[in-house]
Amino acid sequence: MAYQLYRNTTLGNSLQESLDELIQTQQITPQLALQVLLQFDKAINTALANRVRNRVNFRGSLNTYRFCDNVWTFVLNDVEFREVTELVKVDKVKIVACDGKSDSSCSAADVLLCFCASALFFF
Amino acid sequence: KHFSQESCSDPSWFKTALHQLYYDPNIENKNLAQKWLMQAQVSPQAWQFCWALLSPEKVPEIQYFGASALHTKISRYWSDIPTDQYESLKSQLFSQIACFSSGSKMVLTRLCVALASLALNTMPEAWPGAVAEMVRVFQEDGGGVDGRARCLALLELLTVLPEEFQTSRLPQYRKGQVRGALGREWGSVCPLLQQLLRRTDSPGAVKARVLRCLSSWVLLDVPLSESEGLVHDCFSALPDPELFDTAVEAIVNAISQPDSQRYVNTLLKLVPQVLALQEQLREAVQNGDMETCHGICRIAVTLGENHSRTLLEQVDHWQSFLALVNMIMFCTGIPGHYPVNETTSSLTLTFWYTLQDEIMSFESDKQAVYLQVYRPVYFQLVDVLLHKAQFPSDQEYASWSSDEKEQFRIYRVDISDTLMYVYEMLGSELLSNLYDKLGRLLTNAEQPTSWQHTEALLYGFQSIAETIDVNYSDVIPGLIGLIPRININNVQLADTVMFTIGALAEWLADHPVMLSSVLPLVLQALGNPDLSVSSVSTLKKICRECKYDLPQYATNIVAVSQEVLIKQIHKTSQCMWLMQALGFLLSALPVEDILRNLHSLITPYIQQLEKLADETPNPSNKLAIIHILGLLSNLFTTLDISKQDDESADGSAPPVKTAPPPPGPNPVVVVLQQVFALIQTVLSKWLNDSQVVEAVCAIFEKSVKTLLHDFAPMVSQLSEMLGQMYSTIPQASALDLTRQMVHIFASETDHFPPIKALFELVTSVTLSIFQQGPRDHPDIVDSFMQLQAQALKRKPDLFLSESLDVKAVFHCEVSHLSLNLTILSVFLVVQEDGKLLVQAVLEGIGGGASRSLMDQFADVLFCLNKHCFSLLAVWLKEALQPPGFPSSRITAEQKDNFSHQILRERVNKRRVKDIVKEFTLLCRGLHGTEYAAEY
Repeated sequence: MAYQLYRNTTLGNSLQESLDELIQTQQITPQLALQVLLQFDKAINTALANRVRNRVNFRGSLNTYRFCDNVWTFVLNDVEFREVTELVKVDKVKIVACDGKSDSSCSAADVLLCFCASALFFF
Repeated sequence: KHFSQESCSDPSWFKTALHQLYYDPNIENKNLAQKWLMQAQVSPQAWQFCWALLSPEKVPEIQYFGASALHTKISRYWSDIPTDQYESLKSQLFSQIACFSSGSKMVLTRLCVALASLALNTMPEAWPGAVAEMVRVFQEDGGGVDGRARCLALLELLTVLPEEFQTSRLPQYRKGQVRGALGREWGSVCPLLQQLLRRTDSPGAVKARVLRCLSSWVLLDVPLSESEGLVHDCFSALPDPELFDTAVEAIVNAISQPDSQRYVNTLLKLVPQVLALQEQLREAVQNGDMETCHGICRIAVTLGENHSRTLLEQVDHWQSFLALVNMIMFCTGIPGHYPVNETTSSLTLTFWYTLQDEIMSFESDKQAVYLQVYRPVYFQLVDVLLHKAQFPSDQEYASWSSDEKEQFRIYRVDISDTLMYVYEMLGSELLSNLYDKLGRLLTNAEQPTSWQHTEALLYGFQSIAETIDVNYSDVIPGLIGLIPRININNVQLADTVMFTIGALAEWLADHPVMLSSVLPLVLQALGNPDLSVSSVSTLKKICRECKYDLPQYATNIVAVSQEVLIKQIHKTSQCMWLMQALGFLLSALPVEDILRNLHSLITPYIQQLEKLADETPNPSNKLAIIHILGLLSNLFTTLDISKQDDESADGSAPPVKTAPPPPGPNPVVVVLQQVFALIQTVLSKWLNDSQVVEAVCAIFEKSVKTLLHDFAPMVSQLSEMLGQMYSTIPQASALDLTRQMVHIFASETDHFPPIKALFELVTSVTLSIFQQGPRDHPDIVDSFMQLQAQALKRKPDLFLSESLDVKAVFHCEVSHLSLNLTILSVFLVVQEDGKLLVQAVLEGIGGGASRSLMDQFADVLFCLNKHCFSLLAVWLKEALQPPGFPSSRITAEQKDNFSHQILRERVNKRRVKDIVKEFTLLCRGLHGTEYAAEY
């Protein structure tokens, strides 16, 4: 499953800007641009699932959570992110996460595990 | 060549074009040919020429193009065909497929896809019983084509039909209809597949195709109870090496269908079948047959992962499910090292998460019963995983490629994650268990221990302690006591020892007595370049977490650090971490001690910097200067004496130490003032070099961030220096530092004059650069806009100045609209220059700016509409007057419509955003495309 949530990243936005420009100057068609975007979804989903093994731990207090249309949203306050050498403190974090496995019936624990597979953090 | 109606009625054009596409070395010709072929494919003439291209005397490339064009027409231009021609098109396709069943495979497949597409467009009304008809047509004797080829062609057709359905772009309501119709057709497919698979005289190629066809159909949610017989046949096919892969695929697809969990009895019947594969699995392991191991493991894991809940709930069959779990355990522990001798074990890790989740989600008394059975299993899993995580012998490891080593590292991280999760179920007993093992291993005098074994056990500890609060575990003191007993004779082992200590840093903060037993180890490791990353990061963690308990060790830590820094044992980034560690460490000392330590720590660098500042600039002394400046920045990032009392982490405990605010200037300020002149000297020589300027600015930026108002004594001298720097050679980093100063000090009366002077100076300098051409300095534009935004937010008084040309600032902001839009509406000059602003906004919306900024443009329009409605009406009218503005794709009517909508909406901001979004899509030619659709 190729989620589209990574379009809203620096990389995804830059790609869309470039595609927009190519369409406006009539160098490519919107259909081709769509294909490129779909390919991007596929590639970034695979790459993030298979190539990344960096670990970041974080803890904070859970302010809100919801599960709607198979998308988990968590809002956390006073969060500490720990990487091997860095510690970053953030007042408020929004986590948007989709299920990394194909089976859609999942518990909260499933999703917490899936963060590395497909999650975006907004600071 | 240009595309025309005439050209595509002549087959020779296709021959030339295809030849060019495949074989012409000139890329331009290739592109031309491709363009021509694509146009031909979608042209109305395609309905005619495709048949001609399929004729038997043509080469396969041309035939393929014909078949492909046919598929394109049927799938995308179906409405071209009048209803009364469906029948003839269908029979033509049938006969072509029959012809090609003994011809080119790629053409045959394309034709099958075309017929499948036709079927999807016509079923169920226009072509009821499509699949049954396909089966019948191909079973009839036909045109001298032999039975086997016809059978393979039919299977190909039946395989692509569900695939075409999955990829087709049928409208939603049709999709449901067709799915239902296809589901009913399974009744015709199933007996055929069963018959072909069970006949002993069916050739292997036919059976393999049957299995592929089955794979394709089960993805349509065929009820597992109805495919049960076929799935059993798949198991019978597994011993046949020729059919193994396709059979595995079919089984996996069938049992991983979301719907399959409803068929509990069928699932229960599958368990013994899977268990029966253990013999074949063991044999494959013995023979080192990785593919077979992999396939069988996939089947077992798929059943376990998808159906553990269902199977756990069948209490009467608990033994057979436990046997399946044990079979998966065997796969996890499969002999050999990952990824060199085996690649199967990593497939199983997700299963263990799933099983654990299912067990833990039962209500408590039920859970207790399951835990009785499965806790021992999970303890065994820990042993197995730690065994798999062991490094191979030194000699073997040395023979691995770097890629294999990286894969092994990743595998170990996956194991580490699994252990961390398993801890949730096993709790502190898991740590005691690991501790006992480690203790026995290290105290056993008789048997020599392998470093790999010790390393793996420590790795297990580290995996858990790194993320989970181990505060209440009573084995940590024992573990720390064991660490000095480890005979550290290997780099990997030493690394893991370091990381384990690092993972325990938080625990050490609560148990500072134990610091004395681990610190010497860390300090010793600091001198070893092979342990650079692990030792420095561990020291940093300890200094961060335990700084209030470290003063007694401070002298020693500083001395060792200083020594390794002078000996240049570590790479640049580790040196920076080390400085951060020292910053944490010093923060907790009395002020006079901080000053003393700072002096001894940085004096050698200051001396070196003095020397470097005298030299003529060259690339090597540049690097040295940047290195020294970096060390200072990193030191000042963490050296913070103000936060001595807010460290009681969760706020529940009373503050650990309440020191009175230290008297006198902050030690960092003292040092900064002492080196200020030197820094100015460095700058005077390197002002041209953006990297050096950036490094200088970084020192002050980090210090300001940490010191906040304590930085006050330096405000005026730094403002003056920044002003000089920027007016000589403007650089973005100076603007960023100015912004930081505005942020913190602009609202303080005492500091307002120097800040204001600096602000005016950088603004006028920047404006004069922009007059010469802002495009050459995108970084300055960016930083400048951020500075302006900060100033407006923090202290709008900064703009009330005679020497500041507000209008010019405004003009320049308008010309760089893509940044910081919302601040614009605050400007007092808006009324005068509103038209200019509106023009710029429209230009941005018309395609001049990135689409992601449209919300901000909408904000500006909304603001203008709210505050100067009548003027906006005039400006919009005037600005939109010229034809072709803001985009040539827009008609006068659309522009009118846009301004009406904008002017009408004065309350609902969301609505304005939608209006702008729609208009920008129209301007860019993206309106209504799937590409620009919301996702």
